[in-house]
Amino acid sequence: MFASYLIGLREGLEATLVVSVLVAFLVKSDRKDKLPQVWAGVGVAVALSVGFGALLTFTAARLEYTSQELFEAIASLLAVVFVTWMIFWMRRAARALSGELRGKLSEALKVGSFAVVVMAFLAVAREGLETALLFFASAQGAATSATPLIGITLGVITAVLIGWGLYVSAIKINLTRFFTWTGLLLILVAAGILKYGVHDLQEAGVLPGLSTYAFDISGVLPADSWYGALLTGMLNITPQPSVVEVVAWAAYLVPTLFLFLRPQRSKTTPAPASSAA
Amino acid sequence: MRTVIQLTFGALALAGLTACGSGAAPAPASSSAPAKPGKIAVAATDTECKVAASEVAAGTTTFAITNGGAKVTEFYVYAPGDRVMAEVENIVPGLTRELIAELPAGAYETACKPGMVGKGIRNPLKVTGEHKKLTADAKLAEAVASYKRYVKSQSDTLLVKTQEFVDAVKAGKIDEAKALFPVSRTYWERIEPVAEIFGDLDPAIDGREADLAEGEEWTGFHKIEKDLWIHKDVSKSGPMADKLMADVKTIVEKANAAELTPLNLANGAKELLDEVATGKITGEEDIWSHTDLWDFAANLQGSKAAVQSLRPVLEERAPDLVKTLDEQFAAAEAALEVHRKGDGWQLHNELSKAELKTLSDAINALGEPISKIAPVVAK
Repeated sequence: MFASYLIGLREGLEATLVVSVLVAFLVKSDRKDKLPQVWAGVGVAVALSVGFGALLTFTAARLEYTSQELFEAIASLLAVVFVTWMIFWMRRAARALSGELRGKLSEALKVGSFAVVVMAFLAVAREGLETALLFFASAQGAATSATPLIGITLGVITAVLIGWGLYVSAIKINLTRFFTWTGLLLILVAAGILKYGVHDLQEAGVLPGLSTYAFDISGVLPADSWYGALLTGMLNITPQPSVVEVVAWAAYLVPTLFLFLRPQRSKTTPAPASSAA
Repeated sequence: MRTVIQLTFGALALAGLTACGSGAAPAPASSSAPAKPGKIAVAATDTECKVAASEVAAGTTTFAITNGGAKVTEFYVYAPGDRVMAEVENIVPGLTRELIAELPAGAYETACKPGMVGKGIRNPLKVTGEHKKLTADAKLAEAVASYKRYVKSQSDTLLVKTQEFVDAVKAGKIDEAKALFPVSRTYWERIEPVAEIFGDLDPAIDGREADLAEGEEWTGFHKIEKDLWIHKDVSKSGPMADKLMADVKTIVEKANAAELTPLNLANGAKELLDEVATGKITGEEDIWSHTDLWDFAANLQGSKAAVQSLRPVLEERAPDLVKTLDEQFAAAEAALEVHRKGDGWQLHNELSKAELKTLSDAINALGEPISKIAPVVAK
């Protein structure tokens, strides 16, 4: 039960984290009018995942293992691009605020609906298919034991609640701090998504070195523990990453952090010590 | 957020509805799940990984992995060097998930990873064959494989018996060597068509003095035969015996490594009968020892083995021919059986002209249907 719950939580967090930050950001900066686009993106992703999952589960339709990995990899890499763009979009907004240029805020926040839709879509679609397949598999087995289905469902609901909590607390803090903290969080998330995408590319056989591990901390961070699931779900910190994954992760994180934390006036926040990986 | 929750519940409702209609309930955790036809059941626990099959046909294979443990598990199919061919993650306890893998022929490993870490619990998985149904081609391939097994068994014994013969010659035990001469040759004569593929080795082992070209060195069985029966002295035959053994070893290695075709089998069966007609009936083969009937019997057996390997193909394409072959083989064997003597056969010079004629007729009668095999196989 708990194992299924953690899987649901992990899969759910991978989607809700980006969406909740995106929503919080839009609400914070008085762009509530963009919210329907977020929900549209999420809705389309969920519908597609469920539809496709049903197709694969209940018809003779087949999806090659490599194709699924490639789909997830490409969606992840696209998500990295969009999330990165969002990070610097928010940074621009923050600068507009700190520079007493509030008048220019709306200018800085001009953003196409398309980008918002795609971002929300990618955030969910990335892991949507896998989650949908997992749901169907557990629903099929529900006749024998409903435990997996209940566990996964509760896990996804918890993930949504955590996303909701993140949104609520982010709404409450002041604007400058909001930008800094959510920006940093998103950089870590994006680095994690990139690492995930690279891992999928390795699994699809596009990149080599899947079993060349950089390190193995599964003793300290069991993949099936609650904190392991949380870390994996939020930041994609896995106990046994391959060398290529770690290199990609660092190659993204370091320059992005540097660019993001460049002094705007004088106030820089040191990066949180989460770069243990 | 409300929308997300609604969507989530919408998805759940859909899943719930479809669950009622599907009868694919996984087996309870403890037993190994009986997979649907065409699926390979994998029963995974925290300590075990029971894959229902260790050998599958090339092409698309579906695994149905049931996690009966308490830890979340993953299932992998690895190619050599731990290259992932396919994997499915997030198999939570009590869940059955399917994995579809497209696998070409080769040696693989499957792995369950309870707790999602480590090397996992490995099992070998052999993927064999071409990705197609058992066609005529597959039957032909099986015919060749079956004949190769025959060649292997005969050549193994050939090595043993030739070594015994060579040892007897080198030890100067003339009587023992004489007794072993036709026996070791029996295994040679049974598979001679394969040996003939390797041009220069066959004459080196089995060349007759009469067939020797000007300036060629004479080696092999028949040279030692002459030493045994005519010179009655093998004191200088040691090096010759060693060379025979070395040549036989080489040809056995080559014969077992040879890529044969169904046509080789058909032609081989015919060649053996021609050998009988031209060499054994006439008594030219073993001109000093007169053990031609041993060779005769061996040629007949070798020919029959090749034909029997092709039998499934022939029955499909030419049932009448199979019937004729069976009759003629039986007739030829009966004709030969008359001359059995103890463990062996009568000597060639003990047979009358009439008796040789009877044998010759039987062989010719058999040769006719055997010559029809190659065109049938080549169809």
